[in-house]
Amino acid sequence: MSFAATVTNSSASVAAERSGKLPPWASLGILFGVVGVLSIIAWGPIGVSGTYPRIIGEAMRAVAPGYAAENPYLVKMGSILVPETFILLGLVVGGIIGARFDRVKAPKMEATHPAETTPAKRYRDAFIGGMLIVFGARIAGGCTSGHIISGMTQLSVSGFIFAAGVFATGIGTAKLLNAAKTGGR
Amino acid sequence: MKNVYALFIGVAMGLLIQRIRASSPAAIAANLRLENLSIIKFMAMTIAVGMMLVYSLSLVMPDALHFSIKPTYVVGVLLGGLVFGVGFALSGYCPGTCAVGIGEGRRDALFALLGGVAGALLFTLVYTTLIEPLVSVMDFGKITLADVLHVPVVPLAIGVGVLFIAVITWLPTDVRKHG
Repeated sequence: MSFAATVTNSSASVAAERSGKLPPWASLGILFGVVGVLSIIAWGPIGVSGTYPRIIGEAMRAVAPGYAAENPYLVKMGSILVPETFILLGLVVGGIIGARFDRVKAPKMEATHPAETTPAKRYRDAFIGGMLIVFGARIAGGCTSGHIISGMTQLSVSGFIFAAGVFATGIGTAKLLNAAKTGGR
Repeated sequence: MKNVYALFIGVAMGLLIQRIRASSPAAIAANLRLENLSIIKFMAMTIAVGMMLVYSLSLVMPDALHFSIKPTYVVGVLLGGLVFGVGFALSGYCPGTCAVGIGEGRRDALFALLGGVAGALLFTLVYTTLIEPLVSVMDFGKITLADVLHVPVVPLAIGVGVLFIAVITWLPTDVRKHG
């Protein structure tokens, strides 16, 4: 099911290139670029991953206020009522609206590699991967939006270094997982 | 008011991410395997348009732009990126696209988001002992490519933007079909 969707997507872009219309990556990319600049005008560059420790901060202030007040990271990240949090909420709404335009409903589950043969294995990989992306993003101080999109847009050296790291292990891991097939995991 | 703007910007981002299928773990995996480059090209186009537009605007309305450059602490930024890449390939999500996936009704996206919350908790617990010493190593501060190359930033932004667009126009989108 995942292959069918990928093929549809790419044949659509090939058709767009032939007919002289901009391919989706170009037209949607131009729009995203403009949205990023609007954000810089409204308050600052887009970012997402800082929301995750702010959720922890709010939870800690509710259950362990002493710890929350002493942890320098939670103090540094501060309140959850900041623009980044509202971006994350907006992303959910954007997903709901976007899915309405799909002729075929998004599958409840798609595998990233051949060994994800059951929903349980997919959920496990999504959870472990989710831990790693936020842990990694917080070490670096930003994620795909904050470092790669916003950082590289502003020509920040940190954005280029982060992107190099992400694609080095991202490409390597994706190729390894694909080659490993169903063995062991 | 900023938060209201942010909500609208988030909705626009979510729509665009959904349309280019960046919230699809299978599509992310295909891009990372370099079999299909649609999402990588989308990101590069976003960056190219953004840098050319924002630095052009800086000539006419510099006071209206809220630039915010992140510090380049080389070891931490690179290590964070390397850890992120493994999680990106395994989950097929990034911290924003899993929120879009939840909106689309993807069940695994919820697990990715919960994993992210767990990752943030773990990070908070080890921050003082493991992370604080790391982020102060080789910290060059808030530097841009223009500072490093000693060239004016506006022409550099135009040049890098044009270069990005030239490369992604030249690269095939469906790599296997083009051989």
